[in-house]
Amino acid sequence: MLIDFRFKTLDPIRNNTNWILRPLEYLMMVPRNTYEATSEYFTTRSKLAQENHAMKTRQAELSLLANQSEFLTVENQNLRELMALQKQVAFKTLPVEILFNPPNPISQRIVINRGSNDGLKLGNPIANDSGILGQVVRLYERSAEVSLLEDRDFAVPVQVARNGLRAAVFGAGRGNPLELRYLPVASDLEVGDILLTSGIDGVYPPGFAVAIISKIERNADKNSSNVFCVPVAAVNRYRQALAFLYDPQFDAKAPTINDKSSTGAPLTNAPGRRQTRARGMQ
Amino acid sequence: MIDYQSGYILRPVNPVFIYFSLFCALLLNLLPIGNYGWVPDWLVLCIVFWNIHQHRYVSIITAFILGLLMDVHNSDLLGLHAFSYSLVAYLAISWHRRIIALTTLSQALHLLPVLLLVSLFPVLVHRLLSGELYWWALTGAIQALIEAMLWPLATSILLAPQRRPIDVDHNRPL
Repeated sequence: MLIDFRFKTLDPIRNNTNWILRPLEYLMMVPRNTYEATSEYFTTRSKLAQENHAMKTRQAELSLLANQSEFLTVENQNLRELMALQKQVAFKTLPVEILFNPPNPISQRIVINRGSNDGLKLGNPIANDSGILGQVVRLYERSAEVSLLEDRDFAVPVQVARNGLRAAVFGAGRGNPLELRYLPVASDLEVGDILLTSGIDGVYPPGFAVAIISKIERNADKNSSNVFCVPVAAVNRYRQALAFLYDPQFDAKAPTINDKSSTGAPLTNAPGRRQTRARGMQ
Repeated sequence: MIDYQSGYILRPVNPVFIYFSLFCALLLNLLPIGNYGWVPDWLVLCIVFWNIHQHRYVSIITAFILGLLMDVHNSDLLGLHAFSYSLVAYLAISWHRRIIALTTLSQALHLLPVLLLVSLFPVLVHRLLSGELYWWALTGAIQALIEAMLWPLATSILLAPQRRPIDVDHNRPL
């Protein structure tokens, strides 16, 4: 156990065991899937009509939004070019299916049906239609384990949608609400504020919903506030999700030589620029 | 072997049935029920049963291997279940002579602390590794209680092939 905790030397054993175990797990998912398939088959006509109606209105709304958004994206890119800002990174998505969530008293994880063979990488975010679910923490060839937002010390950099305030959401363990840490008392937060990913960490693409603030406790004496929030994306509702194959370090514009010569020093030593480790080192 | 409940001599056990029941328990554990603390761990129940009744067939090594499988399935630290299963197998094997002579209900009562050990083992390890006691996970005690309540059922199912009469008289089934 200690070996697995400190080092990663036992990964081959885990991978091989998983290779044996996965067919059995698929076998045991058959009863659940057949039950769901039959109950879906016997849904009533009125329910289907209702669903169809809701979907049509939703589609009308979305197509309207899509028309606008294309225009807005082009305009945004043009403005960004004018301002000489970095372009927004485009990324691919990969539809994944949530297989099951393994019983584990400490953490809350899900297993998805895509792995390194499908181009998934460690650290890729997983989201469903409403918001971010979690992040890939362990990769097999044809499946992967995703750590959910609830997991202890799972951190996501966010910004408040209303005013752009930056913060970080931390998981507080299974069954506990998420926490917004390191914020002063006077910060402008309200119950019901939506937190979006800010994208400054380079793991999560910016602008996806993460959580909604549910409770705020302000301690004036400690100059800190305890802010609790609930995740937007419900885990157990749908079986489908999307993985973002998002790698801004790969996609981002490399610093050109002109930049270096104009400042006289390499960019990495420029004041205010955070030192980060090279990708190969970690 | 003597069935202490009825006093009859049991039929010899079929090793194929032992491994088949272990495999079935493993499959039951792989059912995608969800991450609930109270869902009984069928495998540990089966392992402890065979450790007590037939410890020559199901040893600590079997328990270790099955525990390793459960570790991979639960995405735990590798060795967490393997260690707790083999610890419990050791306890069950060393106590099997005492426990087997009791009635099934008091057997269940005796095995409750053993099952509690398996259920709470992840919490203890988490406490050792990260220094924090995770109170929420102590609901695993419910799991141990349910497993102890399932013990009489497990006894009746897993001993049923051995309790069959040797010569079956079709004219008088009872």
